[in-house]
Amino acid sequence: MTRLRWLIQTLVAFGTNAYLLFPFGGSVIYQGPLKAVCHPGLNCYSCPGALLSCPVGAFQNFMGSLRFSPGGSPMTGAIVLGYVGFIGAAVGRLTCGWMCPFGFIQDLLYKIPTRKFSLWKPLRWGKYAVLAVLVVAMPIFFVDTSGLGHPWFCKLLCPAGTLEGAIPLLLLKPGLWGAITFYFWNKIIILILILIGTILISRFFCRTLCPLGAFYSLFSRISLVQLEFVEGNCVECGACIRKCPTGVIPNQEIDSRECIMCLRCVDACQFRALDFSMRRPPVKPTPGKRATSPL
Amino acid sequence: MPKKAVWLFIIFTALFILGINYGDPNYLLNLGSTICLACIGVG
Repeated sequence: MTRLRWLIQTLVAFGTNAYLLFPFGGSVIYQGPLKAVCHPGLNCYSCPGALLSCPVGAFQNFMGSLRFSPGGSPMTGAIVLGYVGFIGAAVGRLTCGWMCPFGFIQDLLYKIPTRKFSLWKPLRWGKYAVLAVLVVAMPIFFVDTSGLGHPWFCKLLCPAGTLEGAIPLLLLKPGLWGAITFYFWNKIIILILILIGTILISRFFCRTLCPLGAFYSLFSRISLVQLEFVEGNCVECGACIRKCPTGVIPNQEIDSRECIMCLRCVDACQFRALDFSMRRPPVKPTPGKRATSPL
Repeated sequence: MPKKAVWLFIIFTALFILGINYGDPNYLLNLGSTICLACIGVG
């Protein structure tokens, strides 16, 4: 399963960033019809190779256009919300584990051999704050004189934008250097901190700051697919806990919002206590005798 | 299939179809086809 996941991560990362004409006189970014479709993961649409749009960027731009005269259409945002919501309801955070190019980069960086640390758990709430404040609230409320809001997550924080968009574009179009502002250097510092965090702590960005992961995590307990725990098979050896990249304890928190369904725990369990399956409807308790006290 | 997941599928599919029909899919196309200045820290 681990090999299959690496293969799919590699195929998705390179397959969705396969525009290769930018060094050969083509447009510096891809401008074809595929850009009308969003990527399921976090992937900057300003990356010279990107074939698809970024759902977080598209959604922020839509939110920021709501107060702009003549006004953005709420129905345009419905395309993005419907798309990512459908993916969330179908597979939840499996997208993070298998299809996110920035998640793939983090998995690769974590392989650098250094001392590793565990995450201070309250930091996990950070991603929900980023989603609520930078992606939803600030583009609506912080608008310029024309009523247009900015994509604040892209502007202030997004490390995928800096790594996949800003750095390659500034190398390809040196004329842009003259126009960079404080925001660029701010994002470079943030990128460096996040990359260091990612080398030391597994999936650091996904767990603490990613608004797309936060959105998908809302579906963790109802998505179509799930991790299944067979309690009778568990010998509490802890192999699954040691393998989990997001610090989940699979035999105690089976539908955890932190689980990215990478299925390393399934591979690690030798006793078949964990499995990947389609979610079944909850079984209604059959009416029976009430438990009574022996006293 | 759990009922909640089915309802979510219906709601999000309906949102997507409404968006495609009554929104502006070209908005996404135009957005993705221009360099995101916010992403690269310009302006």
